[in-house]
Amino acid sequence: MRKEYDSGKASTCADRYESMEQYYFTAKRMCVGYENRPLIKDMEIILAKGEILCLIGPNGAGKSTVLKSIAGQLSLIGGTIYLGKEILSEMKRNELAKKMSVVFTQKLRAEMKSCRDVVATGRYPYTGWFGVLSGKDQQIVDEVMELTHIADIGGQDFNKISDGQKQRVMLARAICQEPEIIVLDEPTSYLDIRYKLEFLSVLQEMRERKGLTVIMSLHELELAKIVSDKILCLQGEHIERYGTPEEIFESDFIERLYGMKENRFLKNEKFLAYVRQIGRLT
Amino acid sequence: MYENRKYRYIAAFCLLGVCTSIFYILNIGIGSVEIALRDIVQTFAGQESSETVERILWDIRLPRATAVLILGGALALAGYLLQTFFRNPIAGPFVLGISSGAKMVVALVMIYLMGRSVKVTSADMVLAAFIGALLSMGFVLLIARKINSMSMLVVSGVMIGYICSAITELVVTFADDADIVNLHNWSRGSFSGMTWENVKVVAVVVFLTVAIVFLISKPLSAYQLGDVYATNMGVNLRALRVGIVIFSSILSACIVAFAGPISFVGIAVPHLVKRLLGEAEPIRMIPACFLGGSVFCLFSDLLAKTMLAPTELSISTVTAIFGAPVVLWIMVKRAKRDFD
Repeated sequence: MRKEYDSGKASTCADRYESMEQYYFTAKRMCVGYENRPLIKDMEIILAKGEILCLIGPNGAGKSTVLKSIAGQLSLIGGTIYLGKEILSEMKRNELAKKMSVVFTQKLRAEMKSCRDVVATGRYPYTGWFGVLSGKDQQIVDEVMELTHIADIGGQDFNKISDGQKQRVMLARAICQEPEIIVLDEPTSYLDIRYKLEFLSVLQEMRERKGLTVIMSLHELELAKIVSDKILCLQGEHIERYGTPEEIFESDFIERLYGMKENRFLKNEKFLAYVRQIGRLT
Repeated sequence: MYENRKYRYIAAFCLLGVCTSIFYILNIGIGSVEIALRDIVQTFAGQESSETVERILWDIRLPRATAVLILGGALALAGYLLQTFFRNPIAGPFVLGISSGAKMVVALVMIYLMGRSVKVTSADMVLAAFIGALLSMGFVLLIARKINSMSMLVVSGVMIGYICSAITELVVTFADDADIVNLHNWSRGSFSGMTWENVKVVAVVVFLTVAIVFLISKPLSAYQLGDVYATNMGVNLRALRVGIVIFSSILSACIVAFAGPISFVGIAVPHLVKRLLGEAEPIRMIPACFLGGSVFCLFSDLLAKTMLAPTELSISTVTAIFGAPVVLWIMVKRAKRDFD
């Protein structure tokens, strides 16, 4: 299913359209932004089923905007997104909800809800008119809570747990939705190193088991390097670079992407060594 | 905390049901005129009783208690819908100025029609109140788009309320003496003078609306999670928002048209009911709020009728005494939580 691509410059993506069927997620000439003010233009993204795509780039580069547009929270200014063969903007709301779930930075409001209740909201697209969970739904909720290691906090009030725990509950909720593709915005930000890795390993496990396709933004470059199949670098109004980690993490690209080359704060030798080390592929 | 929920729900609904029945019966039994229990039982059993007793029970107390039951429920539900909509625990038809807007339009229509000696029907009143409710709701929405603060939203609602009340006062001052008496009683908020014709209109409009609201309890529960997650779960946000605005306006309009503006029930009841149920799921909150509103208003109306009998208190006087402390409690609790 997965295969390697040659250098991921946006312009070269066009020749691959003929074989589109084998890809799960395709963005063609996608243009995103707010209120008809384009922020990033002519984005071309192609992902096979089960691939993990990481968006990296400096603060304010538009990672969240891209993710919101992909998840249909913002309407596209131009271009088309395909999920399989279907055009995303033409899919029925409920059908899309069964295929795509999100973990965003916006707070989930949970009034008087236990963590398990929050996870169970992921079953929403599958329940009937009144949203009552069936026995099967309950079973899926329990399984997902085991998988994401949050079974022990299931009974606690969602508003009283730590941000890190909340993030794991949010992941469980998104997985409970049984999506084919999951979109996450900086999901590991509040987690300590152990939970960062655990979080990403859950995503990888879901990829292996269910062929889950993942699109997420990450601040931790060293993690992006090891978990992603594809990396998309954002800077300015076009995709700066798109390719495999091997292609992105070469020479001094990371330093250039984050504008650290001429930064006088980075004269410190230790800092420079740190940046270079992230930039290299081990 | 989250175990044995089923029993808690059953207990809560039983409690609400029993309280509603008790207060409903008390409202029929107790009033400004004292009627012996034996006479009441006899009248309802279809046996001979005096004409006066029969008229008081059938034409005054029964329609009034029924109207209070239905409108009280509608009021609490309107408050719950507005709180859900604005994601603001102290939103309600009264504090957001929606009641006052409805009152203003009703007063204008009444004076206009009375001036032309046209009889004002229940349906006219509801329609006028609905238009008024939508008007002030429109203003509140405009302001809510500009500012995103819980307290400022309420402050602007109160301001809209004042403006509408001022206009109402102005119109009433210039109205004919005969109309004023009618208007004055109603504009203070009272359940007195309910006829069976009123009750019929109220019952049809309110029960239809409540049924529809109950049917959209699933998207409402998704809406509670926040816009991003509701959208992702497949909710048509725009349609749902329009729906909530219209349904809460219809419910508020009904109350204003027949009983005038009533304060605090819309905020206090949903909050108390939430405590009782231990959760905030619309599917149980909607019926529970309705029952809770009925209990609260039946109780308040009973006090309004009897405390200073034969003089009747305005219903808002009673609801404020019991409702306002609840609102204060909510705000103090929120402030505490924000500090933690």
